[in-house]
Amino acid sequence: MGKVGGGVMRKAGRDVWGLALVGLSGVAVFTALGMVFLYAPREATMGDVQRIFYFHVASAWVGFFAFCVTFVASVAYLARGARRWDMLALSSVEIGLAFIAMAVISGSLWARPVWGTYWTWEPRLTISAVQLLIYAAYGMLRASVESAEQKARFAAVYGIVAFVTVPLSWFAIRWWRTIHPDVLTGGPGMAITPPMVHTLLAALAAFTLLYATLLRQRVRLERAADTLARLRLQVASEE
Amino acid sequence: MSAYLVAAYAVFWALTFVLVFSIWNRQRRLERDMAALQARLDGKQDDTGHS
Amino acid sequence: MLIFAVLALLVFSLALDLGGTVARTATPGVLWTTVAFSGTLGLSRSLAREQRNGCIDGLLLAPVDRSAIFFGKAIGNVLFMGVVEIVLLPLASALFNVSLLQGGVLVVLALGTLGYAAVGTLLAAMAVNTRAQEVMLPILLLPLAIPALIAAVQATGALLEGGTLAQVGGWVRLLVVYDLLIVAVAMLTFGYVVEE
Repeated sequence: MGKVGGGVMRKAGRDVWGLALVGLSGVAVFTALGMVFLYAPREATMGDVQRIFYFHVASAWVGFFAFCVTFVASVAYLARGARRWDMLALSSVEIGLAFIAMAVISGSLWARPVWGTYWTWEPRLTISAVQLLIYAAYGMLRASVESAEQKARFAAVYGIVAFVTVPLSWFAIRWWRTIHPDVLTGGPGMAITPPMVHTLLAALAAFTLLYATLLRQRVRLERAADTLARLRLQVASEE
Repeated sequence: MSAYLVAAYAVFWALTFVLVFSIWNRQRRLERDMAALQARLDGKQDDTGHS
Repeated sequence: MLIFAVLALLVFSLALDLGGTVARTATPGVLWTTVAFSGTLGLSRSLAREQRNGCIDGLLLAPVDRSAIFFGKAIGNVLFMGVVEIVLLPLASALFNVSLLQGGVLVVLALGTLGYAAVGTLLAAMAVNTRAQEVMLPILLLPLAIPALIAAVQATGALLEGGTLAQVGGWVRLLVVYDLLIVAVAMLTFGYVVEE
């Protein structure tokens, strides 16, 4: 994180909070990594591969959390009309997309050695895939609308409707899987011990901080883009 | 150490890196455009004597 | 849309080689997939027509609440889809040798169509204003329709196996909650979609 963070830090040099977040995230991520590989026990049935679980679950939760942020920002945008809510919404989608993608890919890589298949309709994995599609659709919607104002409005409406369906999808998938358990997912369960819980929490904290750091940078980027656009208009009008 | 374990963590890093790099890159391009625009504004001020 | 739906049904049955016992388990999925995809066609066209003729501006001038416009469009779309389904059901029943024309299935069909058309109307109103237009709607709609699709397919399947409506009560309740939530959200946000 440090080497790449250097570039981001150059701009964050005047941004104390940003710098603090970068530092905190770095520490948290490395701590979590340490815990995953050194502190957490080797799982009984699955072996070392099970260690994917910690970052996989953490990224899924943060991915969903990002969606919550987008939802709140979307509602606020429609209610207030202030551009910063739209900036928050779209930034959270972009960052959330990365986390959800992590969740889906890591879930798939975990499924392969444990259950013998790259895909399983396991509820958390499936709902993450659904969210991935929604995030992608959100991005495509924004890209497909010309007017900046309409873009923000449509995105906000979609963000709200889409978010509302996610809990319902979750229940539907859970239920479906209870009635028709995948022969493949009915495989080995996981023996959860306290150190594993600690490690999971550490991973969750690390990813939440990472999300906050990235979100902040993304929002600042968006704000700068707005400033540039305004400047351009100013220059154009004076010519 | 399972290959899948390594792959999964490699993906975590890769995606994080891609995201950070993407933001950083856009930031850099933005700063460049901003500087260019500023230079033009300054240039015009010199020419016309008023902003 | 009707022709497309019938064609889709035929193509599905041919492609999936449905006959005998396989048909029974696949029927709910095939039916709902057909309804979903032909539905997106109908929804797109329904709102595109309004946009092309400038009807939406006229409607906006009228002193009615935006949600009333939504209801009007949505109910129209539900009826449209209903007509298609009335044709599809007997056809599917004959093709797959199942009895789709039972009370429980019809209830599930109605609930599912309602939710789908409601969210579809809201999203189609946005989709027609995009560069991609018709292509945008399925992308926006399908991930959001997943709870309804799962519930409808599972419920229909269980009913075809000889279950009663009470036995699929859970799925029915999910559909009802879905419908209510979607309609509520659509009512509140439709105004923001169509405003100038």
